[in-house]
Amino acid sequence: MEYTTTIILRDQKYEIKAGMTLLAALGKLDILPESVICVRDGDLITEDTILKPGETIKLVSVISGG
Amino acid sequence: MRCKKCGGKAVINMRQHNMGLCKDDFLQWLPEQTQKFIEKYKMFTPDDKILVAVSGGKDSLALWDILQILGYQADGLYIALGIDEGIGYSAESQRLTEKFANERDLNLHIVNLAASYGTDVPTLASQTKRGRDKPCSACGLVKRHEMNRIARDFGYDVLATGHNLDDEAAILFSNTLQWNGDYLLRQAPVLASRDGLARKVKPLFHFYEREMAAYSLLRGIDYIYDECPFAEGSTSTQYKELLNQLENQHPGAKMHFYVKFLTAKKKGLFAEPTTEIVPDLHLCPTCGQPTSAANECSFCKMMAK
Repeated sequence: MEYTTTIILRDQKYEIKAGMTLLAALGKLDILPESVICVRDGDLITEDTILKPGETIKLVSVISGG
Repeated sequence: MRCKKCGGKAVINMRQHNMGLCKDDFLQWLPEQTQKFIEKYKMFTPDDKILVAVSGGKDSLALWDILQILGYQADGLYIALGIDEGIGYSAESQRLTEKFANERDLNLHIVNLAASYGTDVPTLASQTKRGRDKPCSACGLVKRHEMNRIARDFGYDVLATGHNLDDEAAILFSNTLQWNGDYLLRQAPVLASRDGLARKVKPLFHFYEREMAAYSLLRGIDYIYDECPFAEGSTSTQYKELLNQLENQHPGAKMHFYVKFLTAKKKGLFAEPTTEIVPDLHLCPTCGQPTSAANECSFCKMMAK
């Protein structure tokens, strides 16, 4: 049984212990919540979402320049 | 988190407003707020012909989408800058912009720098002092010149850009660090037309970059996710990250930084409105566009090199 959640930002994949909030996971990865949008199964989710084992969260970077 | 309006499941938490919204309410709220700021700042009316500068990015395509929803007459302008850097950046951003316009049957002007002037931004940057270190300065000059030219040649009443609050706060931060008085006086959501310069407006200036990304994703707008390869590691990106660190600790900090600047300016904190410094403009003898530079404008000087 899987106990981790996969978080993807650009080409990077991170395995995070399930059961914590997305906000706590972003903190562990040193990612500012303001700089990303969080997507699960095509739906946007808020940072209070509890991470479930085996699921994948995709982070979309929001900062653009040029 | 629950939606503040309907109690459904929220898809975005906007901490600066202490408000979470579901998809439907967010997609209704954002255009409504845009309309509110268009009216508050008297940006344009439904009778005006609007030219939207579109880059293929989330902000400009979202702006074009919102103006359609609100019922404005808005055409697009895409400037093909010839930036490749191994990822075909300009080609992909043009493809996405054309796809957006075609799917919605919108009118899109395309200016191709190579076809019109026989050059591109990387070449111009490498040939000029202006862009030797970073092409962004030369690129900005090209975009400003061409946006104004198309607005003038095709009789548009107003030129709209997709600058969001993070863009504006980063510019303000940069100008404040350098106490650049002229730029501080000129930074505003609306720049009036004068002496051949088109009226410029920024209808998204009150929204965080994160909200614009959420809007584009929720509306299914296919935009270019990559930032311009020349903008990676730029000072404006660094300033945005710094401001986001502040925002993380103090929700609303970057909004207050910019919005209170506008209020302070209106109250005359930086200079009496009647003594605003406005450089004298004359027409460039080569292209006929207004310029404050001696003789030819900076664009024509750059092209002549």
